[in-house]
Amino acid sequence: MVKDFIKGLWKENPVFVQVLGMCPTLAVTTSLINGLSMGLATTFVLVASGLAISSLRKLIPDQVRIATFMIVISSFVTVVKLLFEAHIPAISSQLGPYLPLIVTNCIILGRQEAFASKEPVSRSLLDALGMGIGFALALVILGSVRELFYQGTIGGVQVLGSWYKSMIIMVQPAGAFISLSLLVGLFQRISGRK
Amino acid sequence: MEYFFIFVAIVLTQNFVLHYFLGICPFLGVSDEMEGAFGMGMATTFVMTLTAIITWNINTFILKAFNVEFLEYVSFILVIASLVQLVEMFLKKYLPELYETLGIYLPLITTNCAVLGLALFMVLREYNFLESAIFGFGAGVGFTLALVIMAGIRGELHEEDIPRPFRGTGITLLVAGLLALAFMGFSGLVPT
Amino acid sequence: MKKIGRMVLTLTVLGLISGLVLSMVSNYADPLIKQNQQEAIREAVYYVVQPTESYEKKTMDGKVIYESYDSSNELIGYAFTASGSGYQGTIRVMAGVGPDLKEIKGIQILESNETPGLGGKIRGEDFKNQFRGLNISQEVGLVKTEEPETGEIQAITGATISSRAIVNIINKELTRVRSIFDEGE
Repeated sequence: MVKDFIKGLWKENPVFVQVLGMCPTLAVTTSLINGLSMGLATTFVLVASGLAISSLRKLIPDQVRIATFMIVISSFVTVVKLLFEAHIPAISSQLGPYLPLIVTNCIILGRQEAFASKEPVSRSLLDALGMGIGFALALVILGSVRELFYQGTIGGVQVLGSWYKSMIIMVQPAGAFISLSLLVGLFQRISGRK
Repeated sequence: MEYFFIFVAIVLTQNFVLHYFLGICPFLGVSDEMEGAFGMGMATTFVMTLTAIITWNINTFILKAFNVEFLEYVSFILVIASLVQLVEMFLKKYLPELYETLGIYLPLITTNCAVLGLALFMVLREYNFLESAIFGFGAGVGFTLALVIMAGIRGELHEEDIPRPFRGTGITLLVAGLLALAFMGFSGLVPT
Repeated sequence: MKKIGRMVLTLTVLGLISGLVLSMVSNYADPLIKQNQQEAIREAVYYVVQPTESYEKKTMDGKVIYESYDSSNELIGYAFTASGSGYQGTIRVMAGVGPDLKEIKGIQILESNETPGLGGKIRGEDFKNQFRGLNISQEVGLVKTEEPETGEIQAITGATISSRAIVNIINKELTRVRSIFDEGE
């Protein structure tokens, strides 16, 4: 049971190992706070959809299962979007269209197909939580690195001294690709795979 | 002229893949065959153009007219999923040759975030019907362009001795970063 | 046949539940979202026309105009929103002008997706303050490197497109607001 939770954090980390959900990973990680909000929003959708699909799994006919998953996922995403707009409008506008794009995040559909539609509710919950937190963690790391090298802060707190000249490329598309590339390389090196 | 600029912007200066990070999954997972990449790109362009046309009508005449904009995401993703199914069935029946070439790529298009992203961007930018259609088609062309370039470069990378941890994902992302840098050179091409 | 019936039933029931839940959430969230937007407008009006103490929303010829009053209830200016395309997507600004439409009181960026660090600097005080008290007896001009003269704004280094976008957006809307006022008289 514990394995269901732990595997998403490291061994099967959705970003560094499975390379899924790349659009939001690259697009919104210009700062720690953006990465964190996107990670949490995705975790919520992942957990809620996992619970719903897993409890309904015996009722869903096989032929329409993808359509069912899509309805469930997109409904929960709408809920998140509306709540974000109502309670944290600043973050909602920062994330822009990438918040609704959680609908097509392959991690979510992938987990429903591979796990929630087959396993009992308790295991699906742990699986979704693990994957969600693993995803959020990756986004937070990438967001912190990009923010640090962009303007010398992490989460808005000055880390590097005032001597640090801001590096605009870090918050531009090219910087996103290159930082993630280096992080993936580092992750592979540490975990000693390949 | 404005229509032309919408097209140029979405293909070059604000390429869907390299600027907005939409459609990254197929972009990173693309094979090293240019032909396959081109086929995938064409199939996606086709679905994207149709998506733009249909979702524009749904948004204007149903969602906005009846004030049920909260159904936006649910209805858009259902449209895309059924569109992909329809295109698949149509091709299978009437154009079996084309189906042979494109068929395997079609099911993957539903979860390509570039397609849903296109519909969302279109609504956000309040494009009219013609602008939406051009935007959809241009986004598809931009996606195809990025995909084909990436496939070409990956074909060449086979010969290279890449450090172990970077093999696969690492080097692909690095190449994508360099491409994004190169595409930044186009900025300023479209006047505002 | 039974199979198809079950498929249709599942999707219909699910669609209904989803629609119901979403309409409930939307009913709850909509007033809050509207309130947030009004709050943002209010803050922007107070920011662009200083020192506003109260304002009135008026619709003239289809254009929403906010009339600003100071503490002694005297009309000190008008504020209105304007939008157009920037380097990346739409930019929406709030602009405030004096009661005689001869100078800009201030501007505020309501919405923009310009590149952080470059075009994003249009949100910075340095850029926005250039508009405070700007003479608008003629169209607002933009200079790149030379010293700006009366009625001119200096572009942000490395972000000429975004700077020009703001100037164009404001010029365009000023023309419209002027013609509305001219007709009204």
